[in-house]
Amino acid sequence: MSEAPPTFSESWHRIANQRISLRQGVHARRQSFRGQRWIVLENPLSNQFYRIRPEAYEFVARLQPAKTVEEVWKECLARFPDTAPGQESVIQLLSQLYFANLLQYDQATDSAQLFKRYKKTRQRDLKAKFLNVMFMRFPLLDPDEWLVKTMPWVGKLISPAGAILWMIVVGLGLRVVMEQFSELKDQSQSVLAPGNLFLLYAGLIMVKSLHEFGHAYFCRKFGGEVHVMGVMLMIFTPIPYMDATSSWGFRSRWKRVLVGAAGMIVELFVAAIAAMVWANTAPGNLHNLAYNIMFVASVSTIVFNVNPLLRYDGYYILSDFLEIPNLAQQANKQLRFWVERYAFGLRRAESPVQGAREKLWLTTFGITSGLYRVVVFSGILLFVADSLLLIGIIMALACAISWIAVPLVKFVKYLTTDPKLERQRSRAIGVTSLVAASLVILLQLVPFPNHFRAQGVLEAKQWNQVVNETPGSVETLLASPGAAVKAGQELLRLRNPALELELASARASIDETQARLRQAMQEASANVRPLASRLEAVSKRLAHLEKDQKELIIRARQDGVWISPQIKDYVGRWLTRGSSLGLLVDPSSFEFNATIVQEDADRLFSSTLAKTEVRLFGQAQTALGIHNYKVIPGEQRLLPSAALGWGGGGEIPVASDDPQGRKTVEPFFRVRAEVKSSENISMMHGRAGKIRFTLPDEPLLPRWIRSLRQLLQKRYQL
Amino acid sequence: MQTPTQFYRRTQFKAPAVIHKGLDGLVNRWIGYYQRRDAIVKTWWGKVEQVEALASECKDLGERALRERLSGFLDTYRRGGRNLDNALIPALAAIREASDRHLGMRPFQVQILSAIALHNGYLTEMATGEGKTLTAGLVAVLGGWTRHPCHIVTVNDYLVHRDATWLQALYEFCGIRVGYVTGPMKPEERRQGYNADITYTTSKELLADFLRDGISVGEMREPSRRLVKQMLRPQLTAQEGLVMRGLHTVIVDEADSVLIDEAVTPLIISTQKENQSLNEVVGIAHTICDPLVPHVDYEVNARYREVELTKEGRKKIEDRCSALPGIWRGTSRRTELIKQALNAREFFLKGKQYVIVDDKVVIVDEFTGRPMPQRTWRQGMHQAIEAKELLPISPPSETIARMSFQRFFRLFHKVCGMTGTASEATEEFWQIYGMPVVRIPTNKPCVRKQMPDRVFPDEDSKWVAIADEIERVHRAGRPVLVGTRSVAASEKLAALLEGRTLHFQLLNALRHVEEASIISVAGETAHITIATNMAGRGTDIKLGKGIAERGGLHVIATERHESGRVDRQLFGRSARQGDPGSSQAFVSAADELLKRFLPAALQSRLAAAVRQNLPGKELLARIAFRIAQSNAQRIAFKQRQAVQRADTWLEEALSFAGGGNN
Repeated sequence: MSEAPPTFSESWHRIANQRISLRQGVHARRQSFRGQRWIVLENPLSNQFYRIRPEAYEFVARLQPAKTVEEVWKECLARFPDTAPGQESVIQLLSQLYFANLLQYDQATDSAQLFKRYKKTRQRDLKAKFLNVMFMRFPLLDPDEWLVKTMPWVGKLISPAGAILWMIVVGLGLRVVMEQFSELKDQSQSVLAPGNLFLLYAGLIMVKSLHEFGHAYFCRKFGGEVHVMGVMLMIFTPIPYMDATSSWGFRSRWKRVLVGAAGMIVELFVAAIAAMVWANTAPGNLHNLAYNIMFVASVSTIVFNVNPLLRYDGYYILSDFLEIPNLAQQANKQLRFWVERYAFGLRRAESPVQGAREKLWLTTFGITSGLYRVVVFSGILLFVADSLLLIGIIMALACAISWIAVPLVKFVKYLTTDPKLERQRSRAIGVTSLVAASLVILLQLVPFPNHFRAQGVLEAKQWNQVVNETPGSVETLLASPGAAVKAGQELLRLRNPALELELASARASIDETQARLRQAMQEASANVRPLASRLEAVSKRLAHLEKDQKELIIRARQDGVWISPQIKDYVGRWLTRGSSLGLLVDPSSFEFNATIVQEDADRLFSSTLAKTEVRLFGQAQTALGIHNYKVIPGEQRLLPSAALGWGGGGEIPVASDDPQGRKTVEPFFRVRAEVKSSENISMMHGRAGKIRFTLPDEPLLPRWIRSLRQLLQKRYQL
Repeated sequence: MQTPTQFYRRTQFKAPAVIHKGLDGLVNRWIGYYQRRDAIVKTWWGKVEQVEALASECKDLGERALRERLSGFLDTYRRGGRNLDNALIPALAAIREASDRHLGMRPFQVQILSAIALHNGYLTEMATGEGKTLTAGLVAVLGGWTRHPCHIVTVNDYLVHRDATWLQALYEFCGIRVGYVTGPMKPEERRQGYNADITYTTSKELLADFLRDGISVGEMREPSRRLVKQMLRPQLTAQEGLVMRGLHTVIVDEADSVLIDEAVTPLIISTQKENQSLNEVVGIAHTICDPLVPHVDYEVNARYREVELTKEGRKKIEDRCSALPGIWRGTSRRTELIKQALNAREFFLKGKQYVIVDDKVVIVDEFTGRPMPQRTWRQGMHQAIEAKELLPISPPSETIARMSFQRFFRLFHKVCGMTGTASEATEEFWQIYGMPVVRIPTNKPCVRKQMPDRVFPDEDSKWVAIADEIERVHRAGRPVLVGTRSVAASEKLAALLEGRTLHFQLLNALRHVEEASIISVAGETAHITIATNMAGRGTDIKLGKGIAERGGLHVIATERHESGRVDRQLFGRSARQGDPGSSQAFVSAADELLKRFLPAALQSRLAAAVRQNLPGKELLARIAFRIAQSNAQRIAFKQRQAVQRADTWLEEALSFAGGGNN
């Protein structure tokens, strides 16, 4: 239970005799948030809102120029002895109403004070703008009048009939998308291609303008005024925006949710129409534009708008839906409460909400949105820095200042000087230093398991290509593929009719030459010599041919397993000389041929490995031990197997101009490791897998710094 | 007939300077270091030498020539502008000569030095008895010549009257009218006092008159608007009857007391209004609290002066309140009232925070030990204490105007001040008032023997040792001044000495009438004087005949104060103006100061060390008290800052309720 501010205030005399009241034209509306009643005061002139509790409203509503504040206060106290606000609360309340410009008073104000306030507000706005460089806003014009004028036409769409129309169109659009999903996917690869950027941006502007008008029209339809429209620089990309905060005053939360969702409703509608246009046009500008609109309207809606973790529509919808205004601040307060209450032992710390469910919501939201922001923004930073290094650095600096330096300084100041902590300061500082110290120890001193992995393929240590030396068509398989064979064992027989003919002709030619030789020895001795040399030549040829014929029977050159998955299909097929007929692999010893990317090479060379093991894809549960390994010194650019490259489903980027998909973009290092065979694993030549190098344990922080530096070096040559 | 400018200046005040935070604060701090640099004192010494060089020339001037020269300066200063800087040195030389001739006192070089520092808006730390009054007079002449209102703030009415009349001859010779304002004066006399070129007064009178003027001006306070109004309808503003001429320069004597110790206690102009319901409620709250037991029903936090109800206590209260009407049904109001009653019981102690005189609760000032019959605690608390003491409950006072001294002194265009003890609060003077502190060397070296603190394990042994020590010094024929922190403590010591049949004088909030007569003989042979902090600041104890040869006055502090400055003020009663003297503090490991401001772990360690009589216990105690005092000062500074921040916020937040300065 929190302590109520004291009933009596020492400053009471300053307002006791004032005659003040609420400014004319200030609307009061009842709202309920999570079952609690609130009164929202709205100043229509400045579009400012102020939310107060009904008890406070009882007091404020009674204020009138005919009575002094003191009289009204006493009246309230007499009526509601326990709930009426105390003097201190009244002073707080009135000052806040005054700051919200909701008060009317008969005295001339201290104009210097007003001016000072104005200057302060200006300064604060400017500061906020700089701290929020990624989402700078520039208000430009007041669209309200235009909205009112066009409402008779547009407003008709915001109705049950409009909802039905929307459902039909979106349904049709969805059908188109599903029918042509594969084409859709194909085109998506070129969305960020340089040639498409202009169309993409055009689509973005169109969609976002419609999106904003969606908010504006919905808001206007339900009676809220929309006075500001302008341009927001989202990551330096100009995008329209509109201020529909007047929906804040709506009594029904569903209306508030609807205004929040209006942008997305419109976008999905547009996306559906664009999908239909895209499907029904031939490639060309219109086709492409439609595609881009569709892309923007759907992707941005999903990534940005729906997502409550960023401060876009989804956030406000969630906030309205949960009935927790200022969700993000409340979430921060809640996190702060946890820390103050339980880590710092501040018994007076107050949770911003009462219910356990709200606490859960706030906590979850606080943590996830914090993490999410970091992830998204580092992504954006890297993305921007890739194309515009200087701006990237400036942005990174800005982010570092606004997210690291400023909060850190603030936190230190809070720790050392905040009066709230006065009593628990030593504990707070103790806990913080403990956490910080243990973090440092954990990161800088405690060694953590350190390993990295590399892709590679399993290869038999001894293996041979089975190749035919003689062309021929496959006649029969003499051994079954996959079986173990001995050296010299016949594997398959080829048949080469031409060879046979040639052989026959060569034999005939020998017979003929021998016959002629015999004849010449008897009749013309002068012919003996040429014929003898001819015989010699023909015999040689015959020998060759016979060898060739012999080689039509292909034999294993070594002991091993003959692997040739497709050989059965080869029967009867003609093979030219040197065709691959599978591999002869020695199953007794294998080695793993791994490719190490450059970032990891340093670690590979610098430290001694504690342990190395290989896991094959598909049988990752069993690790294979390694006897020893050998790093092949010198960079390489040709992968041992196409399976390791992008083209073959691997992780290593390969050059797009290489049809084989083996030439890598970046050089890599090769490691050959002798694998211990295992009974559970069928060792097969060419099987891809990962080798895991376990390095000596090393603390995390040096490792992170090293990878960050490598990242910077690789990307920006810094 | 006043000129429009004079009319305008009556309500034209400086907007209090912004108190810098964050990075600005850091830069501001550096500026402060620069302003206090040693080199600045050196350049001033150069100027002092130039003044000295002019001395013989001034001496040779005839009476009439000197007067003419002085009236020439009057014109120069009145016109203002750039040549004032050049005029400073000859002007000081002339004033010095005038002082020599008409007061019979020739300002020492250190006093000239201090005057130059004051003129530059510095706060000078001058050892006690170094002639602050005359120094202020030198600067006041310069201020008076400008004809801007120049106020000299001293500690009490007696000093106001004494200083104004003492220096009158000098002022008159310099062509300046001097006035003074004291408590009992009527508005017409006050107006006369303020109409003079320079006005002696106390800070309380000054602020009270300022607030009353503010009330009579009413809502139209902005000077330009007021001027227009006066031009249109002169009869309206003629009725206002303001007493002051406005605020411009102020020279604050005992600046640390006025600007720091008492700074956040606001001065309140109030009327008493009967409030039957409050009286009843306070009575009921007292009866409900009566049976509550500490540590069972509530916990007491001594350091922060707070009580926290336990579950059991809440239940008891719940049971007792169920039969009571209206306001007692809800939790929040009820808890507030009961906590107030418990606060009254735990933290407001008879003989310490207040005394009872004629069935009335009279507040005793924490720093000066003086009774403050005009003062009341904030609404309800005073009544709660009356309920506790079973006294008739007085009607609550209703505030009409209210302002803290801190805020008030920031409205002056020029603030400067003097004190014997400023160095502890250097940073605060700079941050809040923009006054750099410099230390002025003494004219004659100080020969006070400051003996090391004596440490005791508990209160009883300490008091016995104090009584022994008093007796010893008494037998030696030296006068002794014993300072106690509270009325109760002074009474306790008095009883102890009575038991030893020693003759002594007792000076505390209950016996303050004889103050002047007690102090006048306190320096005589073998006199024993027991006093609360009353006999601190500003008390001048003259040594009797032959005392100096015996070693002068011996001062005993029976406890250390939260602020080291108050301790130093007490010690400063001895060894004044080159006289001999000695002082010593008696402390115990069970002193309240330690309990409140020393971390518990250190407390027990110190207590153990003292009990076992370990060799380093004196050093340990000195460190412990140093830590406790600096903790106490830090917390006090934080509180003053918070008050100041709340003031500023209120000013901004309630500016719709008339831009007032109160």
